[in-house]
Amino acid sequence: MNLSHIEKNTKVRIKEIKSPAILKKRLQSLGISAGKEVEVSEISLQKNTLKISLGFSFIALRMNEAQTIEVEELS
Amino acid sequence: MKKIVIALVGQPNVGKSHLANALSGSNLKIGNFAGVTVEKAIASFSKDDTEIEIIDLPGLYSLEDFSADEKVTKDFLLKGEYDLILNVIDSTNLERNLNLSVELMELDKKMIIALNMDDEAHKEGIEIDATYMRKILSIPCIKVSSKTKYNIDALQESILHVNAHEPVAAKLFYSDIIETELEKITSFLDEKHFKAPNMSNRHIAIGLLWQRKPMYAMMHEQPLFIELQPILNNALGHVYMYAGSEDIEEVINKENAAFVSGLTTDVMSVKAQKSKNLTQAIDKLLIHKLLGIPIFVFLMWGLFQLTFTLGQAPMDWIEGAFQWLGEIVGATIENEAIKSLIVDGIIVGVGSVLMFLPNIMILFLGISLLETTGYMSRVAFLLDGFFHKFGLHGKSFIPLVTGFGCSVPAYMAARTLKNKKDRLLTMFIIGFMSCGARLPVFVLFAGAFFDEDMAGNVLFIIYISGALLGLIAGKILSVTAFKGEDEPFVMEMPKYRFPSPRLIWFSVYSKSIMYLKKAGTFILMASMLIWFISSYPKNSFIEESYAPQIEAALDEEKGALENEMREKMMENTYLGIIGKTIEPIFTPLGFDWKMSVATISGLAAKEVIVSTLGVLYSLGDEVSEDDASLKEIISKSISFPSAIAFIIFVMIYLPCIAATAVFAKEAENYKYTIYLVVFTFATAWIFAFIAYQTLSLFY
Ligand SMILES: Nc1nc2c(ncn2[C@@H]2O[C@H](COP(=O)(O)OP(=O)(O)OP(=O)(O)O)[C@@H](O)[C@H]2O)c(=O)[nH]1
Ligand SMILES: [Mg+2]
Repeated sequence: MNLSHIEKNTKVRIKEIKSPAILKKRLQSLGISAGKEVEVSEISLQKNTLKISLGFSFIALRMNEAQTIEVEELS
Repeated sequence: MKKIVIALVGQPNVGKSHLANALSGSNLKIGNFAGVTVEKAIASFSKDDTEIEIIDLPGLYSLEDFSADEKVTKDFLLKGEYDLILNVIDSTNLERNLNLSVELMELDKKMIIALNMDDEAHKEGIEIDATYMRKILSIPCIKVSSKTKYNIDALQESILHVNAHEPVAAKLFYSDIIETELEKITSFLDEKHFKAPNMSNRHIAIGLLWQRKPMYAMMHEQPLFIELQPILNNALGHVYMYAGSEDIEEVINKENAAFVSGLTTDVMSVKAQKSKNLTQAIDKLLIHKLLGIPIFVFLMWGLFQLTFTLGQAPMDWIEGAFQWLGEIVGATIENEAIKSLIVDGIIVGVGSVLMFLPNIMILFLGISLLETTGYMSRVAFLLDGFFHKFGLHGKSFIPLVTGFGCSVPAYMAARTLKNKKDRLLTMFIIGFMSCGARLPVFVLFAGAFFDEDMAGNVLFIIYISGALLGLIAGKILSVTAFKGEDEPFVMEMPKYRFPSPRLIWFSVYSKSIMYLKKAGTFILMASMLIWFISSYPKNSFIEESYAPQIEAALDEEKGALENEMREKMMENTYLGIIGKTIEPIFTPLGFDWKMSVATISGLAAKEVIVSTLGVLYSLGDEVSEDDASLKEIISKSISFPSAIAFIIFVMIYLPCIAATAVFAKEAENYKYTIYLVVFTFATAWIFAFIAYQTLSLFY
């Protein structure tokens, strides 16, 4: 399951990031890396973009980028 | 006096520029979104007989360069001359910020950590033990707040102190396996009594294990390298086995992340998280699926309504004041030529620009609110999907909005886009966002040709259609000239902040002063020039040839004949001759020669368009109606279709010379500048042509 399939207001844990190296590093320096918990807090109208909330910040991502982030739901 | 140079480094939007201002009392630009500073800036102050120069650098998330603004910082860090790094950290987002700090520590420079936004951290119930943090890292960590100026003195002291003492290497701890291997290398170096200047053996060991090229280059020259090599190979083998990966970068990232995470747990405790909830609540509304975009459009519409309704009264006062001034001054001057220069040239020219100051201030107030509250990145979020369809990027919104103010900073703001393609494309589109200097033209024409209660809407439509045309142009360019891969969209959304009124005021005030200065210098000179070349040569033979006709004419025909004469005389001045030469290019758009001249003179600066129109029409209209406002004269002498074509032309054609020069510099290739000139003129001409020809069928 990847981040693009997650419903609004759901908390998940990141399992793996499968993005190309540069993007992976960028995501990591924004605090998005394996093991982190994130919540999807808004999805735009045509499901183009989503806002996630993690720790102390908010990040906007496009669906393309979200597809490269493997996640698992928190029980 | 001694001099210390400080590199101010940190992630975007952590308050570096704000801190530089707090330290030095300067006025660097501050805004609540990532990528406010895109070029290095200098602020300086002196303390205890030492001059301290702060280099404010663009924020960067990591030393891996991603976008052009981040590259500015990385280049400076690696190649620039500076004495110490002041690493600014957002205390409310410690762990993420420390990831960069760890990378900075590896640069082996003297370093201080400023834990900024201490005031916010307090409010949010975040407690950081700076003393303990200092003990772990062995570099000074100081809690500060740029906003409340808390501990700014202590930070200044610390800068002096650190500079005066020997460098102390920052301490990072790694997992046991790595530490064991590091220990092996270090003790080998120690045994051999190896000592490099300004560098501990542990530091060398880390550089070697992390396979840093400069460290290899340095050690390779040493005789002991032959013995060192097998130890190193062995160590690397162990590390790879332990990490389960042969990619050293990944190992480093993991190790650093683990260290940072441990450090954060050690020094930080959190009681409650309030402001995050507030931001979430505001976002529920502002980036709502369905409401988000309508709210944004409504706010834009409101801004343009305000520009008109609030701006109208002061605008009338200023215009009235200048008319009064013209009469008073005019009455005291005997010499006709000097009187005309001062009244029709200078006072009308400068006055026609100055009267739009209130509108300009309202526009800049709007932009400033957008920049400082945190709404900017929300709109980028909302528009990304839409923009993407047109080949643009959500982040393009930031330079585009800046473009509503002025194209020069807008071209620079495009640096935050990573791909060259996205960046160039955005830069081409920036011109479609009518800059503040074009606002006077639109306000003038909307006021002249539409009812007062419609004028605000018209203004809004002008801006929106400019933006839409820009998007269409973007689409065309992205499938023809700028094809290429998409840039990923990953953008931080800062928490909402209440902008300080002082900051807002300062930003509006400084823009207004700039506008006033421009009116008092550049526009003044331009008006004098326009006056001169549209008054000379004085072809007295025309006057003489008309004199008998006017004498003989009936009273009611006299006025018309006089106007005709004045028109003829102007057509034969230098400017008239130039105007007549270029007129054929603009005739299909319904421009007379005066409008043609105004568009060309607008290349120098867009404000010159109104001052030129002011001078030209007031010279031609002198006697008939003394107190007619420019608006009235314009609405009498220009037809509706021509006026619309003129608005459209001004909306699209080339930004001023200064902006074009910045474009050329940022695009790094003169080819693109030529494209820009051809592209904007061609599009402007075609659209104005279509508008004029279509409207002429009805009017
Ligand atoms: N409450 C509070 N807000 C602060 C403080 N320092 C900065 N800010 C706010 O944080 C935001 C970012 O400030 P800037 O100085 O523009 O940040 P920057 O690090 O220069 O950002 P870039 O130039 O984009 O890298 C602004 O809205 C500031 O008003 C602080 O100490 N306390
Ligand atoms: Mg800055």
